[in-house]
Amino acid sequence: MVAAEGGSKIVEALHELNVQPIITIPKVGPFDFSITNAVVYMWVSAVIIFAFFFIVARRLRKEPDGLQIVAEILLNFATGHLTGQIGEKGKKYYYLILTLFCYIMLTNLIGLIPKPIPLKPYTPTTNINVTFGLAIVVFFVTQYQGFRRHGARGYMKSWLAPPGLPKALAPILSAILFLVHFMGEFFKPLSLSVRLFGNTIAGHLIILVMLGLILQYASAIVIIPAGLFVVVMLLFEVFVAFIQAYIFSVLSVVYIESAIYAGH
Amino acid sequence: MAFDAEAAARLAAGIGMGLATVGPGIGIGLLTGRTSEAIARQPEASGDIRTAFIIGLALAEALALYAFVIAIILLFVA
Repeated sequence: MVAAEGGSKIVEALHELNVQPIITIPKVGPFDFSITNAVVYMWVSAVIIFAFFFIVARRLRKEPDGLQIVAEILLNFATGHLTGQIGEKGKKYYYLILTLFCYIMLTNLIGLIPKPIPLKPYTPTTNINVTFGLAIVVFFVTQYQGFRRHGARGYMKSWLAPPGLPKALAPILSAILFLVHFMGEFFKPLSLSVRLFGNTIAGHLIILVMLGLILQYASAIVIIPAGLFVVVMLLFEVFVAFIQAYIFSVLSVVYIESAIYAGH
Repeated sequence: MAFDAEAAARLAAGIGMGLATVGPGIGIGLLTGRTSEAIARQPEASGDIRTAFIIGLALAEALALYAFVIAIILLFVA
């Protein structure tokens, strides 16, 4: 997202949203495997989540201490609140949903933490490739569940018109419904990823534009309201980070559930 | 005056984004109102109501975000 304009500080501030390669690896065909700051932050958040649950699991106690309390709250949240409606059949997806929730929340928050200078701050979820990657995982889990539980025939059947319709009407309705369901399955990951991407990038864009305004017009009339606004927006971003992680996981549960109980 | 594609794209991005916030705004307003009504009527069901509220919120909000993505495409990519 680069707009080449003459010297505007606001546009300059938006360059924060660009990824910055740290170790450049030559392109293989159309694929660029360079290690960027986005990749580093994704690895860091994955390692933090793994280390956190690993450490907690190694030293479980009857009387939980600080870390274990946090882990238990997260686990209760995942088993009760997030995946409460998925039922017995989807029990093994507790862990996928919990991981998605923790990962999205951490990647949302990691860009808000100030960093040492060589590594530019970057929120991985402001990149649509990241959010689409996460949504694709949910898509494949959903389709796998649909095909495994009902078989290819049964799953396709659940997309058609329900039985008991007049003979003349059923084929036309079935064709329309099949098309709608088929497209709907592909729009699910798209809307999931665009929602997460849009929410995070919108907040970051507003903060960066405000910071750019401060840099552009260095006067008290701009600095005081814009600075206050940035502080409020940053607080709001923390809230959004949680809400978006929650929404992503809840919608994933809804999608997986709809495949498990397709045709009911 | 000649047709300026870049100016038209910027105008479209601004107007489109503004219009796209109207629908979700109305939707989220209705949703919040009904949610508070429901919680006031049945405080013991507030957990379930809140989950439904947040899902609805996400679905309504997504509409504005689609327009936002289109606006970004208009401004920076096209």
